[in-house]
Amino acid sequence: MRRIVGIVLAVLLIGGVVAAVVEGRQAEDEGTATKTVRAVIGSEKAAFFADREVVDALAAKGYTVRAETSGSWAMEELDLEGYDLAFPSSQAPADELADKHGARKPLPRPFYSPLVVVAHRSAAQVLAAGGLATLDRSRGGTLKMGAFLEAARADRTWQQLEGAEKHGELTGTLYVSTTDPESSNSGALYLAAASYVANGNRVVASEADLDGTAPLMRKLVQVQGAQKSSSDAAFRDFTSGVGEPLVLVYESQVAALLKEGVESVGDLTLLYPDTTATSDHTVVPLTGEGRALGELLATDPELRRLAVAHGFRPQGATAEFTEATEADTAFLNQQLTDVRQAPVPTSEVLREMARRARG
Amino acid sequence: MRRRALAGCLAALALLTACTSQGADGTDGPPAPGASGPAEPGILRVLASSELTDMTPILEQVREDTGVTVRLTPIGTLDAVDLLAKGGTDGRYDAVWLSSNDSLRLRPEAAERVVSETPVMSSPVAIGVKDATVRKLGWRPGQVTWSDVERAVTVGKLTYGMTDPARSNSGFATLVSVASALSGAQSALTDADVAKATPRLKEFFAGQKLTSGSSGWLASAYQRRGTVDALLNYESVLKGIDGLTVIRPTDGVLTADYPLSTLASTNAATREDVRRVAEALRSQGTQREITALTNRRPVLASVPPAAGLDTSRRRELPSPGSRSVADGLLDSYENDLRRPSRTVYVLDTSGSMAGERLSRLKQALTALTGDFRDREEVTLMPFGSDVKQVSTHVVDPADPRSGLDGIRRDTERLTAQGDTAIFTTLEKAYDHLGGGGDTFTSIVLMTDGENTTGADAADFDRFYGSLGKARQEIPVFPILFGDSDRAELAHIAELTGGRLFDARKGSLDGAFEEIRGYQ
Repeated sequence: MRRIVGIVLAVLLIGGVVAAVVEGRQAEDEGTATKTVRAVIGSEKAAFFADREVVDALAAKGYTVRAETSGSWAMEELDLEGYDLAFPSSQAPADELADKHGARKPLPRPFYSPLVVVAHRSAAQVLAAGGLATLDRSRGGTLKMGAFLEAARADRTWQQLEGAEKHGELTGTLYVSTTDPESSNSGALYLAAASYVANGNRVVASEADLDGTAPLMRKLVQVQGAQKSSSDAAFRDFTSGVGEPLVLVYESQVAALLKEGVESVGDLTLLYPDTTATSDHTVVPLTGEGRALGELLATDPELRRLAVAHGFRPQGATAEFTEATEADTAFLNQQLTDVRQAPVPTSEVLREMARRARG
Repeated sequence: MRRRALAGCLAALALLTACTSQGADGTDGPPAPGASGPAEPGILRVLASSELTDMTPILEQVREDTGVTVRLTPIGTLDAVDLLAKGGTDGRYDAVWLSSNDSLRLRPEAAERVVSETPVMSSPVAIGVKDATVRKLGWRPGQVTWSDVERAVTVGKLTYGMTDPARSNSGFATLVSVASALSGAQSALTDADVAKATPRLKEFFAGQKLTSGSSGWLASAYQRRGTVDALLNYESVLKGIDGLTVIRPTDGVLTADYPLSTLASTNAATREDVRRVAEALRSQGTQREITALTNRRPVLASVPPAAGLDTSRRRELPSPGSRSVADGLLDSYENDLRRPSRTVYVLDTSGSMAGERLSRLKQALTALTGDFRDREEVTLMPFGSDVKQVSTHVVDPADPRSGLDGIRRDTERLTAQGDTAIFTTLEKAYDHLGGGGDTFTSIVLMTDGENTTGADAADFDRFYGSLGKARQEIPVFPILFGDSDRAELAHIAELTGGRLFDARKGSLDGAFEEIRGYQ
């Protein structure tokens, strides 16, 4: 434990590392003959593993999970000796971890969540009137990434969109507010999706691709000024009415908050970028126990139900997510209709992209 | 709900002094970072923005609900970021709770010591204008822009006070809000925006008649003067001052979101405690109490802000994304945009200062020369049985070194001898300063003993009473040092509208440095 924290600190240049350490409430589980499994997880899953019901469901299957959080992109710098699994929030770092540690593929991917943009109603309506979004649901719609990125490239402002004058807060450059792509997964995945579109719907893979997309990526980031280091803080600022008109978050954050009642989201309108990246919560087994736990998370009905309760989409059939979110269809695009999943560049490319955009 | 909050208030009143470094005597010594105490289970040692001491009743409730005691150590943002960057928080603090983490993010070596952050409440920058002035200006509070404020200032119809942006988050957020709005920047500020806006910003800051290192002193100086029309600060601070109409300019503001932040140096159990406290603070009931008690805004969409907090939206202005822009803006504010300061340093060099005390004074003054701003006028007035010397230096922007070298030279020549004529020297300092002019004018009094010769306290009271209004507005900032008489110095601070600083708790360097925010 000490050791990994020390190492994590040493590689903090990648940042965003080590959020709260989530303990599997061992004390309460003493007496039941459970196996303790040690995991390094992306911070978005900390609340899931800390959930009483999840702890109980895991214990019922004979597991106590001791989870430590780390930035997904920082895991490959960690010494994972003594750990049973790594559980990053993105597939690219998972693949690299698997290669590095010789984990057999395919890797269990118990759940996933697409990146979405939350907007206040006024902002969503002005975007729609300006042809940058369509509103197909009463509280949600689609952000047209091609048109939106063109507007960003041309330094378009809210004032230049019809109807913005009715909303005093809608002034200034059009941009989606994200977390710092150098330290946080969601900010990096936004660049992944945006660069895919900017690169002619091809994943950025070469130096030439990087050069070609760098000016726009830089613009998308620089206009934001100081960026938050976690999507949690960004989303909470949004729901409190503070902050930017358009904020990039995980669908799971919105879906989880909707469980607390529709009044908890205020006038939030949920936009799915027509090309988006997905947070693939992928297990990298380092031991047999790690693989068994990953498969359990992917297949156990109770654990899948709990993942849905935390807003995630379980792997495979969509019925559980669809059923559980029936009350929220005004917001959610349950089937992800017309949402294209952009492939994510390799860690190395994405890091370089983020570095150039921030620097 | 209200009754519970009130009961909490009363119960926590006793704790209040324990929680803050600002004692009942009104001293405002720099917090000693070592004073956080050892780690104890169930106690979170939290480095916090000084205004958060108003959360004491809420934290008492959180303690009852979670069993976790939150012990706040108040600190200025700049000092907190410095401490984090140098690793001074490791092992001494369990969490950090500032009004905003924006300035922390500009220093990677500080940012990497924080691992997660949970916004707890929010308050936007606003301008609080005297009700009568609002009427005179014909303003409709929901429709005022920063340009309107600028126009009122340039035609001489509005003066204001604000906190020092180099030392407080409220001042920094105010400066960024004004610079963004007046430069017409459509996105995060750049160096070019700042350069372009400089002429307008200069006119804007000509209206600043009060500066302060803390929001608390700003409010009391405003009330005491009675001649300043407005204050720029967080909405929550302004709501607590009678007779102000609180306006959020429609062209945008920066908002403090008070993130409770976990430190990388802590262990799992501590982080779990921080998480539980954050969760308790974000519960519906607590959010209702927070907004009612503090006039900050809740972070849950389901809890309405306290009555009187306007809910119409404002653009959130981006905070600078790089240290060079932030530093450039601060530098231009300090050295060019704001009115310069004029200060007399009344320095006790009586016989009792001989030896180590004198060398500490010389060291502290020499260190301070790194901090004087362009255009600043500094007068050294060492005294013993009477004033020994009056030497005035101006930091000339064309040649800042010669003024600073002069101060260092005169400092080096100080010698300790004679009795202690505090009041006679103070009177001469007032005579030297004359009317305030277009500067921030103040007197710093450093003494290690009590008055032994010349005019006495009663004489000084009469002298002060006979001064014209302009000179009565010059505050004295006394520093407790060595064997000085707290009651005597506290009286001087109170009489002149100054503030007492304690160099016995911290260091003399620290006290001089802290006073910079008030000059």
